[in-house]
Amino acid sequence: MKQAHRVVGTPARRADGVAKVTGAARYAVDLSVPGMAYAAVVRSTRAHAKITGIDRTAAAASPGVIRVLIGDDLLAAGLTPYYGHVVLDHPVLAIERVRFHGEPVAVVVAETKREAAEAAELVDVSYEDLPAVIDADEALKPDAPVLHERRGERVGDEGMDEGEKGLVGNVCAIARVGWGNIDEALARAHLVVEGEYRYPMLYGYAMEPYNALAFFDQGDLVVFSTAQHVYMVRRDLARMFHLPLARVRVSAPYVGGGYGTKSYTKVEGMTAAAAFFTGRAVKLDLSVEEAMLTTRSASAHIRARSAFTKDGMLLARDFQIVMNNGAYTDNTPLVNSKTANRCFGPYRIPALRVIARSVFTNTVPSSSLRGFGAPQGNIAGELQMDEAAAKLGLDPVELRLRNLVGPGEEFMPGKRPLDADLKDDLRCLASALEWPGTRIGRSIGLGVSASDAGAYPTSTAAVRIHSDTSVTLFTGSTELGQGSRTVLAQIVAEELGVPLESVGVVNGDTGVVTYERTTGASRTTTITGRAVQEACRDARRRVRELAVQAFDLPTSEIEDTAGGIRARGRGFSYGEVIEKWFGAGGEVLGHGAVRRAEGFAKMPPFYEIGCTGLELSVDRETGQVHVTKLTTVGDVGFAINPALVHGQDAGAAMMGLGAALHEELIYEGGQLVNPNVVDYRVPRFSDIPDEMVHLLAERLDGSGPFGAKGAGEGAGNTVGSATASAIGRLLGIFPRELPATPERVWRLIREAERVRTRKTE
Amino acid sequence: MGSREIHLRVNGGERRVVIEDQTLLIELVRSLGLVGTKLSCDSQVCGACTVLLDGRPVSSCTTLAIEADDKPVVTIEGLADGAKLHPLQEAFIERFAFQCGYCTPGMIVSAKALLDAYPEPDVATVRHWMDGNICRCTGYQTIVEAVLDAAEQMRGAP
Amino acid sequence: MLRRFDVHRVTSIAEAVDARQRFGEDAAIYAGGTELLLAMKMGVARWPHLIDVKAIPALGRITATNDALRIGATATHWDIERNALVGGALPALARLEANVANVRVRAAGTLAGNLAFGEPHADPPSMLIALGARVVLEGKSGTRSVAVHEFITGMYQTALAGDEIIVAIDIPLPAKDVRVAYVKFQILERPSVGVAALGTVRDGRFVGAPTVVVGAVDEVARAVPTAQFAGADARDARTLDAIAEAARAAVEPTADLAGSVEFKRHLVGVFTQRVCATLAAQAS
Repeated sequence: MKQAHRVVGTPARRADGVAKVTGAARYAVDLSVPGMAYAAVVRSTRAHAKITGIDRTAAAASPGVIRVLIGDDLLAAGLTPYYGHVVLDHPVLAIERVRFHGEPVAVVVAETKREAAEAAELVDVSYEDLPAVIDADEALKPDAPVLHERRGERVGDEGMDEGEKGLVGNVCAIARVGWGNIDEALARAHLVVEGEYRYPMLYGYAMEPYNALAFFDQGDLVVFSTAQHVYMVRRDLARMFHLPLARVRVSAPYVGGGYGTKSYTKVEGMTAAAAFFTGRAVKLDLSVEEAMLTTRSASAHIRARSAFTKDGMLLARDFQIVMNNGAYTDNTPLVNSKTANRCFGPYRIPALRVIARSVFTNTVPSSSLRGFGAPQGNIAGELQMDEAAAKLGLDPVELRLRNLVGPGEEFMPGKRPLDADLKDDLRCLASALEWPGTRIGRSIGLGVSASDAGAYPTSTAAVRIHSDTSVTLFTGSTELGQGSRTVLAQIVAEELGVPLESVGVVNGDTGVVTYERTTGASRTTTITGRAVQEACRDARRRVRELAVQAFDLPTSEIEDTAGGIRARGRGFSYGEVIEKWFGAGGEVLGHGAVRRAEGFAKMPPFYEIGCTGLELSVDRETGQVHVTKLTTVGDVGFAINPALVHGQDAGAAMMGLGAALHEELIYEGGQLVNPNVVDYRVPRFSDIPDEMVHLLAERLDGSGPFGAKGAGEGAGNTVGSATASAIGRLLGIFPRELPATPERVWRLIREAERVRTRKTE
Repeated sequence: MGSREIHLRVNGGERRVVIEDQTLLIELVRSLGLVGTKLSCDSQVCGACTVLLDGRPVSSCTTLAIEADDKPVVTIEGLADGAKLHPLQEAFIERFAFQCGYCTPGMIVSAKALLDAYPEPDVATVRHWMDGNICRCTGYQTIVEAVLDAAEQMRGAP
Repeated sequence: MLRRFDVHRVTSIAEAVDARQRFGEDAAIYAGGTELLLAMKMGVARWPHLIDVKAIPALGRITATNDALRIGATATHWDIERNALVGGALPALARLEANVANVRVRAAGTLAGNLAFGEPHADPPSMLIALGARVVLEGKSGTRSVAVHEFITGMYQTALAGDEIIVAIDIPLPAKDVRVAYVKFQILERPSVGVAALGTVRDGRFVGAPTVVVGAVDEVARAVPTAQFAGADARDARTLDAIAEAARAAVEPTADLAGSVEFKRHLVGVFTQRVCATLAAQAS
């Protein structure tokens, strides 16, 4: 049963609404400081090469140029010229060697943007080519060129992968999950579905390209940037300049799209180095093309087997995953382990074996992107459920229902039991899609996922109650558009019993707000939200303490009310208590912290549910897919702001549709051939499904505030497999490679025709 | 290289500015502090930089600033009437038709041009007109709804 | 960001021609700028001088006679899409123009510029060729008119001489009972296959042979040999199959991100059938 709430549970208007619709919202790219200089990046024109020389003379002599900076300068100055939150292997600027086409080699700092850009063309870099490897399977071969003969120092992780154990050649990370006897289970299976699946490398295309503004203020480093995880970037920068954490300030104002692509350090190191060597404030704005040469998501090649009984009960699953993680480690150990955890699904599986390996190649480094391994794994895991259903003559929904774990049931030994009713979610989804569908020429695909979300549950928050009873929330969570300012303000208003309009939010600035581990993994509502609740409770406790002293009341007689306290039949607002205690002015500060303990003791902090399906038709002459209906079930425990949940679900599902049908970064030779939005096709208005339905499942079963749990990624996780499944059921052959472009679908149609012809012969 | 003085009419205000020939309209408007207009794809595909030039929506990233000589330019900052938001702005808020907000100025300006040309658009017209504006956050549906709402609102208004 | 250049505004055709002569290879003609400025931003073209022809009054006009439309060189897709003369006399062209790129490109880009760029993945050339349109050019030695299929000589190549500018596109209007249609396949920003057709269908049969031109798939648009289909049954699937076969044989598709040669050739057949079916449907 839902409790009666005042502010949470309502579609409160966005806190950033007016700013964003009037153009007043300021993003990092909009910021400037007087006297700032501009940077431009010189990038590698080779996929893999030794740098034999960098001639800076012409560029340095170019009008307006202040400094031309290369990697050796950082070394010479005694800075740490590498960054990376797990492995310190990513040079701020290439040192001795370039490992991908587009890698930053030099930075030109000039008085104007134009002067910087023009001088950048004059930097003359000479190379000696090395053999390059682009494909991950190729990179695993014994004779493949090795990208990192010496591994970078390991500086941190969350204990999710196997660390450096067993990493040879180009293997960047290994993760294994498993139990039971696979061989025995496969041997007694009625059906073994086997196949190879491919998920493309993607570019998140957050519309504000990476940019930063950096300067030193009396030795303190100040950086404004597009960072999602300001505290993670702070750590990288502190290490780089040998500064205490306290003397590095990283601030992200409004961020123009994140989706994971702005997790961790991108251009902050380069920009800060430029500021360090020039003594100037320096601004670096990347173009979209440069942003596409900065980060992507890992592609996956998965060999999978699933074994079933005659009745469709899973006996075993076996996944061998190879991911292409590009030139540097970045977030690979985490993405890799999440792919391993997320590929097999929240099913009862007697025997499981997953080996995921991420492999260095001479391509753009990969990092986080919405779903974080889940969409990659899903294309194999969920599609095999559909393939099995087709072979067993079972209904794919029924097949899933037979195997899904129930609420409170463990599906990964030692991990948190499932905190959702997936069977019910799936029934809702199937019913909303009118499963199994009767429309001629249409086909429905659906799927489920449960992702170990939330990342490491470290979070803090602070609230200041002012003398007029208004409240300011301080949170390290960044506003990426997901609506964190709004949701967290709703939690404050609810907890403290004050009007939403009287809650202000300050966020995303390490110099001002309290520590937040990351803004990702769909964690803000759940984990930061809990920290905010704790902060509110701490503030209330402080108010009561003040009241005891100010009004000479015994603690036992004070009770909390909306916006204040009550004692001896009289109500006092927070402000009255504060002013009385101080005599004039004053405020109360509440601090809240959550860690891996109590409700979050067991990992993951929560599961993020994916339960999305769609109906589509295929133009059999052109192979073009048209989505007629898209349905999401937002199993969020409790929707603190239902409109924002729908927004996350719709956005994640549409992004998933992009990858399912069109998006793919393509390499030819050693070069990315579509590093622009002209040739890398993201979903448009014309791709909106004819009908969109977003459902909510609220069972108060989340570990977050009021029973909430995270959203934002799950709705996209199953879209790829659902699309492939719908196409497969329509054509009789399941696509095992995404995106399902018109040409790929057309080829499937022809293959299906050939199969039919052979059968009739 | 060439530079010239132009008579600029942005959001109802008038001024004369000296610009170089290769100056792009987005560079000009942003240099005036009108940074609501955003650069993204830089190739006329995404629409984040949309402004109205002489009533028509253009990609300010690929339009020379000299084109604005003596022609009215409307940017996102020119839509609200003081504190009173334009019906499109109201509808975007009401429908949650944005998240990160980076595409929003271009989206709203493009939608304004649409409603100027077609005061009573249907869904197909909205989708076709807006197809050149990319949003990565919302999935678009709420934007279509907001534009239709605003159209209705504007027809109802005296 | 654009590299430095000078814009020279001319107000007459004669001035434009003079400027073309004066700057030679160092200048490009600037009208809509949608292709030119993009190429310059990307660094694939660099011109120290741009000759701005938008202030030449005669170039902006769209006029009609009984048997032809004249579209001035600075008329934009937006202008053509909305023009009453075009809408009345050649609605298929108005529809084509309404689906070129996106609304902002249409608002600024010109039809003449589209032809002048010789971009293979473009919508207008196939229909203009099918209609027998001609490009009117003016240069030092006077005016000449070149058929569109002779004007576009290759990928990004045209017959425009160094001293010439495009003045207008002349489009002969088809007779009353001639239907005009255009269909395209497009996934990325530009069409991957576009097929234009015109023909008369009476009592289900082609009167004479239909004209079919395939664009956007090859280095240049290709006319499909259709003489053998004069009088053929336009509603017979075999006729459409045969025209499609002729179309597939007439093109040399370019493989790119939108598809392989094989797939594009297949699409040429599909869209040729569709455009011919449209002719037949329009007639009934």
